Amino acid sequence: MSEIYVVTLVLAAGTIAARATGALAGQLIPTEGRLAAALNALPGCLIVALVCVLVLGGGPNEWVAAALTLGVAIASRNLPLTMIFGVVAISVLRWMWPG
Amino acid sequence: MADGSSGEFRHGARDILPLALGVVFYGAAFGVLATQAGMSGLDVGIMGTLVFAGSAQIVAVERLVAGAGAAAAIVAGLALNLRLVLVSASVRDIYANRPWWQVLVGAHYTTDENWAMMLKRRAEGETAGWGYMVGSGLVLMAAWIGSGVAGTLFASTIPDPKAFGIDFAFAAAFIAIACALWRGKTDFAPWLTAAGVAILAAITGAIDTSWAIVLGGLAGAAVAGITADV
Repeated sequence: MSEIYVVTLVLAAGTIAARATGALAGQLIPTEGRLAAALNALPGCLIVALVCVLVLGGGPNEWVAAALTLGVAIASRNLPLTMIFGVVAISVLRWMWPG
Repeated sequence: MADGSSGEFRHGARDILPLALGVVFYGAAFGVLATQAGMSGLDVGIMGTLVFAGSAQIVAVERLVAGAGAAAAIVAGLALNLRLVLVSASVRDIYANRPWWQVLVGAHYTTDENWAMMLKRRAEGETAGWGYMVGSGLVLMAAWIGSGVAGTLFASTIPDPKAFGIDFAFAAAFIAIACALWRGKTDFAPWLTAAGVAILAAITGAIDTSWAIVLGGLAGAAVAGITADV
């Protein structure tokens, strides 16, 4: 079997295992109490951590664009508009200060 | 479907379109990369269907192109997918009382993009369950595979997503979704912890950034659990 199919099949098996483990393990956690409060807060915390790591991986242009995008997101509460603004903002910043 | 899943399916498919557009640019870029690894359009289609995890596929194939070997490619891809355990667990309610095959299908169609969009819809007071996840996931899969295959066919003419700032589209989308998820001042300490831990873990460079996301998410959730009124 070629290398690419070994990678595809093992990666597929591992990925579905990760997804299904979460789905099944989540069922075992009680619906009340501190563990439930933690699990309820998990989505927001994961998104915040994801955004921080994504933006940090860039440079000053990405950091400024993220701050501006956050302002537009809070003011507009509109997803497509925020995405378009973010793309335009980073493009302008990179044009002005090429990395 | 009698439980309202078909309406949710449609809502999911519609809501995810702006993010699916972003996925198209990445899919095309992935197709170009895949060509460098000697993959055909069929290989890209099979990998997209079975793995269906964009960032992990990009990292794994990039490792292959770099000559790191199959084992290194698999480890890099799987490390990136660890967060999917937490992502799936955080929407556990959509699997309650579902047969095993629906749990598998729902889990397979769970990605950062439609998971986040589902949370946003819920934060707006609407219902979004299993049907929403699968409907939006199917649209994302079609966008990912279609653009990936196209990328292998037109490899020489496809620009880098970074050239047009498209690489920032997902960060912007997640920023907008985080704002929609903000529940008020009870979120302040958990979110600050999540951000602080993720940033510290990432800048030390000692661990993969995927672990930084997992650590940040868990630390924030732990603070929420400790400070909760129960």
